[in-house]
Amino acid sequence: MTASGPRDPGSAALVRLVAAREVSSRIRDKNFIVSSVVIVVLLLGLMAFQVVVSAGDGVSRLGIVAEDGRLGPAVEAQAGAVGLDVDVVELPDEAAARAAVEAEEVDGALLDGAGPTPELLLAGRDATLEALVSGAVSGVAVSDRLLAAGVELQALPEVAVTTLDGSADDGQQVVVAIIGVVVLYGLLILFAQFVAQGVVEEKASRVVELLLATMRPWQLLAGKVLGLGLLGLGQIVVIGVVGVTAALALDLVDVPGELVGTVATVVAWFVLGYAFYACVFAVAASLVSRQEDLGSVLTPASMLLVGGFVVAIQAAGDPGGTLATVTSYVPGLSPLVMPVRQAAGEAAPWQVLLAVVLMLVAIALIVRVGGRVYAGALLRTSGRTRIREALRAERG
Amino acid sequence: MLEFDGLCKSYGADRVLDGVSFTVAPGSMFGFCGANGAGKTTTMRIAMGLARADAGEVRWRRRPLDQALRRRIGYMPEERGLYPRMRVAEQLTYLARLHGLDAAPAARAADHWAERLGLGERRRDQVEKLSLGNQQRVQLAAALVGRPEVLILDEPFSGLDPVGVDALAEALLEQVRGGVPVVFSSHQLDLVERLCDAVGILARGTMVAAGPVAELRRREAGRLLRVVVPDAPAGWAAGLPGVRVASERAGDTLLELAAGADDQAVLAAALRTGRVTHFAWREPTLVELFREAVAAPGRAVAA
Repeated sequence: MTASGPRDPGSAALVRLVAAREVSSRIRDKNFIVSSVVIVVLLLGLMAFQVVVSAGDGVSRLGIVAEDGRLGPAVEAQAGAVGLDVDVVELPDEAAARAAVEAEEVDGALLDGAGPTPELLLAGRDATLEALVSGAVSGVAVSDRLLAAGVELQALPEVAVTTLDGSADDGQQVVVAIIGVVVLYGLLILFAQFVAQGVVEEKASRVVELLLATMRPWQLLAGKVLGLGLLGLGQIVVIGVVGVTAALALDLVDVPGELVGTVATVVAWFVLGYAFYACVFAVAASLVSRQEDLGSVLTPASMLLVGGFVVAIQAAGDPGGTLATVTSYVPGLSPLVMPVRQAAGEAAPWQVLLAVVLMLVAIALIVRVGGRVYAGALLRTSGRTRIREALRAERG
Repeated sequence: MLEFDGLCKSYGADRVLDGVSFTVAPGSMFGFCGANGAGKTTTMRIAMGLARADAGEVRWRRRPLDQALRRRIGYMPEERGLYPRMRVAEQLTYLARLHGLDAAPAARAADHWAERLGLGERRRDQVEKLSLGNQQRVQLAAALVGRPEVLILDEPFSGLDPVGVDALAEALLEQVRGGVPVVFSSHQLDLVERLCDAVGILARGTMVAAGPVAELRRREAGRLLRVVVPDAPAGWAAGLPGVRVASERAGDTLLELAAGADDQAVLAAALRTGRVTHFAWREPTLVELFREAVAAPGRAVAA
């Protein structure tokens, strides 16, 4: 042993060491690996399910015989108006059309579309396609006749659309937000539990005495919360990226920009929510000395988390309601409720800001008071410590 | 110098420490004895900042111990504690780093101490998979791995087999030779007597005796007289002035002489009974010193 002697590590170095240990021991933990895989698989499964369910009214293929360049665009425009996708394929003649329909290469084939006897070939009845095609055919026919009658078509007025709630269709955003909140809720529970288990493990194994001989309680707490937090953040970002990529690849969303925005909002709320619950769970866990007793002290904080989740799901149906509005400001509930309201376009920027500020104040308060409880309770390894005792005993 | 100065500590009405003071010189080993509940663990926990003294302080090189100085202390708590699911080498490396070693030296120190304490092949095992004796060795390695300037060990020898005791004793003596002051508590008084330069005996929260073993012995010597008189009737010494019979079995008599009592008068009385086969002052063992110190309330002897 000839290397340099020991140095005095600063707070940052100690916190980093603790955090690194948390990450490296957790990342090899089977529970963690399994839960990560399960969440991603569930998410992908959910989207695959969505694709299968919506496959029926998704993309239809329509063959058009002797297309004159107007029918195809007319059908596509008609389909677009009612939110459907139709691919138009040109076919040379009736025989080819029949063959294509029978081989199910196309869902239907239009014969003599611009002529006097238009005919739609279908394998079976398809009300949607029938309505689309007859709409397009009659549209083309009408414009032909109007043109023949010398009517000027360029001057047709276009309808401008204004929605009274000031937003476009938010349904999809809300669905994304709900999925986001489910993931958020799951990860908050998971990682706050990790923190709590870690705290009790150190108390139960008494290794905490060795640790506190080298560092202060807050350094230990900060390292633990930061380490697991980075891991959690990494996980939610991975889930977000996988989710967004898959959603885009499977063409499940209309407006990719809004999807990314909603996912980013959820990730940001995860950071605040995690800071809040990790500290609460850590402080609660420091009051007991055995894993078996953990459940009883974590219940109140868990109830808050579950409550936030329930309200968030409810808020998806009624994002402007009183319950959703009020709870979206309550620290602890806001990380779950506010993303839904934001996605629904119900939250003004100042409201979001207010919720964030309230949350930050709450976190600061917990770190201050909770840190003292944690410090006082950490070395009391007999049974269960009361909060008041811990505050009085801080390193007594 | 490692100085424990006037430590007082009460838990409610229970006065656990009442002015405990002693010093340990660099490069010397201090054995800390006392009955269960005498306050040894509390004294050590105060030194490590795990309990707060009501009064008094602990100093190292004239500076009161703070977090930075404590980081230079190797500590072994009474309640052993390690991460159960962490591997031996990783655990030791982590603890060495908390004590301020850089990554590479920390890993080397971990390997060194694992090897040294006979854990070489267990290096990659999780601590909870080891036998209790081996966990104890890891705990010792944890105290030594940070290259401590001071060692404070609470019952380091309990639970070790004789080979483990020798390995630890050798490791501690090596630290002492390197100038490290070592304080350890133990109920194994023979071990304390063999290893320590000085001992302290704690009873009811005060240090009832402290100093080099030889000095304590000398002080107590001159009080116990062993006389073997095979032919003497029982109670032959009972009437001698200033003499108390500590024990008497078939003429083998242990007498405690009060200050000023005449040993020659005892010899004369012994000769009157017949043959005297043994007559000598007896050096007390540490066990006897311990019993004596612990048994006599209020009699404080300080070196």
